[in-house]
Amino acid sequence: MSVASMATTHTAKTSAQDSAGLLVLDDLSKRFPTPEGTVVAVDHVSLSVKQGEFFSVIGPSGCGKSTLFNVIGGLISEYEGNVTVAGERITGPHPSVGMVFQEESTFPWRTVIENVSFPLEIEGMPKAKRYEKARHFIHMVGLDGFENRYPSELSGGMRQRVSLARTLASEPKILLMDEPFAALDEQTRLLLGDKVLQIQEELKQTTMLITHNITEAVQLSDRIMVMTYRPGKVKRVVDINLPRPRTSEIVGSDAFGHYVAQIWTDLREEASRGLTEDEGRRVTRATR
Amino acid sequence: MAETGRLRQAAITSPLLSPVTLVRLAIIAGVLVLWETIAASGWLYRDVVPSLLAIGRAIIALLSSPEYYWHLGVTAGEIGAALTIGGLSGLLVGLVLGGSRFMGKAFEPYLYYLGPTPKIIFFPIMIMWFGVGPASKVALGTMSCFFPIALSVAAGMRQIDPVLIRVGRSFRLKQWQMAWKIYLPAMRHPIINGVRLGLGVALIGTLLAETKLSNRGIGFLIIQAYSLFDMPRMYAMLIVLFILSIGANALIGRLGGLDSIKRL
Repeated sequence: MSVASMATTHTAKTSAQDSAGLLVLDDLSKRFPTPEGTVVAVDHVSLSVKQGEFFSVIGPSGCGKSTLFNVIGGLISEYEGNVTVAGERITGPHPSVGMVFQEESTFPWRTVIENVSFPLEIEGMPKAKRYEKARHFIHMVGLDGFENRYPSELSGGMRQRVSLARTLASEPKILLMDEPFAALDEQTRLLLGDKVLQIQEELKQTTMLITHNITEAVQLSDRIMVMTYRPGKVKRVVDINLPRPRTSEIVGSDAFGHYVAQIWTDLREEASRGLTEDEGRRVTRATR
Repeated sequence: MAETGRLRQAAITSPLLSPVTLVRLAIIAGVLVLWETIAASGWLYRDVVPSLLAIGRAIIALLSSPEYYWHLGVTAGEIGAALTIGGLSGLLVGLVLGGSRFMGKAFEPYLYYLGPTPKIIFFPIMIMWFGVGPASKVALGTMSCFFPIALSVAAGMRQIDPVLIRVGRSFRLKQWQMAWKIYLPAMRHPIINGVRLGLGVALIGTLLAETKLSNRGIGFLIIQAYSLFDMPRMYAMLIVLFILSIGANALIGRLGGLDSIKRL
């Protein structure tokens, strides 16, 4: 297979109505009033994530990725346009959407199993039942034997896996992750990527990943949406036609390198625009 | 706070007869020897420094007297009441001040300035309001422990990691679940720390008030022994009180301490 033929790109104007997706964003915009005037964080974004698809959103710092995350997660309830999950409009945190945050978010006063069973406890599931279910997800993220440890006794990568298992335990239709591995070193990140691929294979979990890491996006995704620097628009949507099941070994392949290069070309423009505009105020992490 | 936690952990995990323990024991032994030497020397007035034997006898006499336990009960009740009233109101005020930036900014400066003021200066007013009985002592103890508890709860509330609140929102917790399952456990250290500080000052406030004007309680007994110049009895009560307050502090510290070792 030639490398060039694998890269299919869509134009930015993908209409949401094209295919009935599980998660549909239709002409979503979000403005924030600030003392210096209105900032448009997300500008007329339309996209559709299909059942079972792994969709990534990549963009430079300040492109409105996190705003997108917060809107879909329901933590920002006021927006223009329409965001629907399985046809229902998002107006607040929705039971079908499970969020994994960038920051350390395990509860330090709860053991691993108490953390993972937390959403089930909130649902009112009896202890024996929710622990049994939690064990299943702890096994899935590879933390068997650590059930009764406290987060302070675990490494950063293990704690992020606890957060992931906790969100998976709530069995969301859509797993929404905001740079979940950003704070980890590259090796850990690649290996955790393997874990995510494995889980994805097992659960056929519809996933939306927000990231600024190109390798991570290409390693995991079926499709990647590149966003522009402020205001955050859709610059391009790239299909990643790499075979599944995948592992992190794919990182060494030619096709992988091609995708990374292609996305970097798009991203570079945006990141450097961000860098010049933000000069002296912020160093963009995407240009590393 | 993290430092004291670590120190406590070191103290707990150190072996029984480590060099540190030996030095600590040596200090106690040294003080006792010095005391006995001074007592036997006759350099000071008789009974100002009574012999250890006399103090020991007085402790036994004290601990076998039902009257003492009655007074101890009075004082413990006063401190308990003060800690309950002051603690609950401190928790409530702390939650309001910590939860609202506006309220915090408006009211906290007053708490900071009133906090370190010796509350004993308000004692005459408390006597006028509540009489010479236990109520005025409870009032003084309450005033003492309210401030540190309110301030540490307010500070603790502001230190809650915002991402934990977002996690709670994403799992659609109800208000009471938010309070019970996220806010309170996330604030466990500042709350326990506030209660420890509160206990200390409630103890001081209550006892001080009892020594000033009262007809019952440990403070009253101590000052009574002093005015009767029954020094062995006075020392005996001081020692017992000292041990009791260390015990109470250790008890609360243990609640927080175990927590800090096991749960970060």
